[in-house]
Amino acid sequence: MSQVDVPQAPHDPHHHPPVIAPGHTYASVTDKISTIVLTEPVSRGWIVGFAISFLLTMMLLYAITYLLVKGTGIWGINVPVAWGFAIINFVWWIGIGHAGTLISAILLLLHQEWRTSINRFAEAMTLFAVACAGLFPLIHMGRPWLFYWLLPYPNTMQLWPQFRSPLVWDVFAVSTYATVSLLFWYVGLIPDLATLRDRSHRRSGRLIYGALALGWRGSARHWFRYQTAYLLLAALATPLVVSVHTVVSFDFAISILPGWHTTIFPPYFVAGAIYSGFAMVLTLALPLRKFYGLEDFITMRHINNMAKIMLATGLIVAYGYLMELFIGFYSGSIFESAAMRNRLFGPYAPFFWALILCNVLTPQLLWSKRIRTNVLILFFISLVVNAGMWLERFVIVITSLHRDFLPSSWAMYYPTRWDWATYIGTIGLFLALLFLFIRLLPMISIFEMRELVTPHAKSNGMQAARSLDRGDDAHE
Amino acid sequence: MSKRSAIYGVMAEFDHAEQLVEATRRTREAGYSRIDAFTPFPIHGLPEALGFRRTRLPLIVLVGGILGGLTGYLLQYYSAAVAYPVNVGGRPLNSWPSFIPVTFEMTVLIAAISAVLGMLALNGLPQPYHPVFNVPRFALASRDRFFLLVEARDPHYDHDSTWKFLESLGAREVFDVEH
Amino acid sequence: MNHMDTSLGNRLDQIRRYALYAGAAGLIVWLLASAILGMRVALGAYLIGFLYVLGLSLGALAILMLQHLTGGAWGRMIRRVLEASSRVLPLVTLLALPVLLGMRALYIWTQADVVAGDEVLASKGWYLNVPGFVVRTVVYFAVWLALVFLLNRWAREQERTPYSQQSNWLRSLSGPGLVLYGLTMTFAAFDWAMSLEPHWFSTIYGVLFLIGQANNAFAFAVGVTLLLAWWRGVSETLSRDTLADLGNLMLAFIMLWAYIAFSQFLIIWSGNLPEEIPWYLARLRGGWGVLALLLVIFHFAVPFALLLQAEVKRNPRTLAGLAALVLIVRAVDLVWTVAPSFSTHGHHDGIWVALLAPVAIAGLGGLWLWQFVQQLRSRSLLPYPEETAHSLDASAEVA
Repeated sequence: MSQVDVPQAPHDPHHHPPVIAPGHTYASVTDKISTIVLTEPVSRGWIVGFAISFLLTMMLLYAITYLLVKGTGIWGINVPVAWGFAIINFVWWIGIGHAGTLISAILLLLHQEWRTSINRFAEAMTLFAVACAGLFPLIHMGRPWLFYWLLPYPNTMQLWPQFRSPLVWDVFAVSTYATVSLLFWYVGLIPDLATLRDRSHRRSGRLIYGALALGWRGSARHWFRYQTAYLLLAALATPLVVSVHTVVSFDFAISILPGWHTTIFPPYFVAGAIYSGFAMVLTLALPLRKFYGLEDFITMRHINNMAKIMLATGLIVAYGYLMELFIGFYSGSIFESAAMRNRLFGPYAPFFWALILCNVLTPQLLWSKRIRTNVLILFFISLVVNAGMWLERFVIVITSLHRDFLPSSWAMYYPTRWDWATYIGTIGLFLALLFLFIRLLPMISIFEMRELVTPHAKSNGMQAARSLDRGDDAHE
Repeated sequence: MSKRSAIYGVMAEFDHAEQLVEATRRTREAGYSRIDAFTPFPIHGLPEALGFRRTRLPLIVLVGGILGGLTGYLLQYYSAAVAYPVNVGGRPLNSWPSFIPVTFEMTVLIAAISAVLGMLALNGLPQPYHPVFNVPRFALASRDRFFLLVEARDPHYDHDSTWKFLESLGAREVFDVEH
Repeated sequence: MNHMDTSLGNRLDQIRRYALYAGAAGLIVWLLASAILGMRVALGAYLIGFLYVLGLSLGALAILMLQHLTGGAWGRMIRRVLEASSRVLPLVTLLALPVLLGMRALYIWTQADVVAGDEVLASKGWYLNVPGFVVRTVVYFAVWLALVFLLNRWAREQERTPYSQQSNWLRSLSGPGLVLYGLTMTFAAFDWAMSLEPHWFSTIYGVLFLIGQANNAFAFAVGVTLLLAWWRGVSETLSRDTLADLGNLMLAFIMLWAYIAFSQFLIIWSGNLPEEIPWYLARLRGGWGVLALLLVIFHFAVPFALLLQAEVKRNPRTLAGLAALVLIVRAVDLVWTVAPSFSTHGHHDGIWVALLAPVAIAGLGGLWLWQFVQQLRSRSLLPYPEETAHSLDASAEVA
């Protein structure tokens, strides 16, 4: 018999530190989370943060207005690099959104109850990230007011969208994703909106939260159907989230451009999306947890688990880079190998090597548990990964385009100040929406936290998963 | 109309989920059928105690998904092969591999919308007014208390005896629910 | 609990014998057929059989490591079978020798005259060369054997002593182990299968093999576990929740396979490039097209539709049936992936390779199963008593 000083069973991975600190009751959980929204005064930090992000949002609006007046010529894009910052940022943002769906849907199906205290927040992040993402293809169109031409509807021009093009698939994928994410988030909010309605001291609060709660009264029958619906949404959202980034990867891979046309893109894009998404969740959750004193709900176990997922997805992404490079040289195609050489040693090579540093080397630190549970270092790593994933899209989009088949059409791409203003502006929009969210809605799912408080009971979301599996109600 | 039917029902408040499940079971055993329980979070076993086991929701979602997928594929087939047939890089007019992604997205979209609208419709939501909200303490149903309601429409309902019965179940308090 | 009762033991002994007979018979038929059909066809079929049994052992190794990382009741239920599967790897290593010895008949890039007349092949010499192939094969097996050895040894020691360090070691090894497995198996798939058509390339090819192996080994472990439970008369006492977990994992593997396979197809079909599309053109025409359709139906549509249903997942019989289906369609998938390669570069041997492949799979599979039963019998069937699996003290009683 060796060491006994380990508190948990060494061979039993089910023994974990708690997902909620001990001592909480239904009431204390409810009060702690709802007071942030209902009674806590607006802090100075919030005002400053919101003011900065609001200013950046204004900058975004200014940049977009100027774009509408002048056209996309104000950006750095030109032939051959017609896809510049807009597409890089689109892919970056939509990837960030994916962690939210992963946390709320996939981890629910996998019976991972630690997801509970971060899912609401992560879903909000998904929505706002998708909003920022969706903006870019729209304004990149040149004439955004004709965006509805992308939709299939009978028209006097007798034209239909080209359904063999991945760009049209993208319209369907992203709009479906935005819709389903919104539904999922809203359905999850309904019981908590009822809590806010019942606990708000202001008439306006009671009215607004009451209207949004749709008259929810917590009837056991309603809960039953509610859980079924929530679980079905999770089951639908899981393949959906995979399909969305797969379709985004098709935007590149369906073409025949070396550097884009490669079969590993779908899973590698999906893994990259989850990777950057978890990095963003950590980037946001670590400070929030500190400022709002949510250490009881977002425990070290959450942080450790998220770091592990980042490590795993980061390794998959690294595998993707390796395969691209190896097959590029193995292929025997001069265009493929030239594209890879250009990536490694061409004019944009520093971006590639920075990407390797950020996305492949830095996350190897996460093998160490000490680093995974060090909030400060982890926060730093999450920032590095966010930057790395942006660089990845830069490398894919720019270095593949700027030197295509004909050397006579080679050119360099340089972003303009409008590119930067738009990009940074969407970060402002994203943060502004998040600041509003944490003031106006409960950032942790209250009713699911109540379930976690219930002694000796698994979360009922999980029990519903079981009972649905059992076929109590499925497949009449 | 008698005085008693002027109220919607009688409601009992409980401190613990287990008490409520037990009380619900006994209320049903006592022959009451128009009853409902209200809780701040889903309680395992409570729907069964109410005699409620199945919902048609999965079927609704399945049908929605199939219809969505069919619509998605037929839409593409019609536009690419019938209404606007164009040769794109020698691909067949019915380029089925290219049509799979949109078919999939449409399946998920319609299925998800069916799930949400189906859940709301079956639950009768949104419902701006409901008599249970007339009980002031019912606000705690979204915090930490558990409520059991026997409606006046129940054939077994008799105000005084139902009231006493609920009290006998260990309720913390019993209320009249007015219309 | 841990003593295999004699009737079960007898039954396993019987299976072990039959497996050996089947293996011997398969190999004899294979040898006879190869005298008629020639070395190249014989080795092609052998390669398919070899990749099949390799997948059973390596997939088990991968799931074992995954299980050490994630935990879960499903893992405890099938862990013994996975461990036994992985311990057949030494035999599989021996079975790799014919592939190495016959590489000049199998791979056209080993033939100097062909390479000299082919600019593309000549430019691939830095990777596709005989010494490199041999060295890489040695490295792959060294890595896999080391992982199998350590995982089994530590797992054994872990059960003898509770609170042992081995649990931590198992977990610490499993992360890097999975990385190593992923890399080595990817390149092994490139070497042994993709380079049969050395002009063709696909970055996702290795992942298709990884998923295929995990899918197959998992189905095998589930099937064997359910069969053993049935023979021991305890199949009714299996936890329905755990069964559902196993079914859901099978569903996940099947969906993952379909996702990757379809993505590769869609990208290559849409690109329609002369260096890529021939691979699919060969595999979607004639009899190969029928196989492809069978794969869509039985490797995806049927198990997918069945596994969506809760009753199917929770019923040991239907779950075992689905596991058997997966074991068959994996073989079909390997035949469909590998055999048409023998009809390229002026040869037309693919059809014979495909016809001989079942014989090779039976022969190699028989030998593999013989070793597997041997390994399974050498240890108790469950890592620790099921009913006390969560309690620490109880695990000490197991010895």
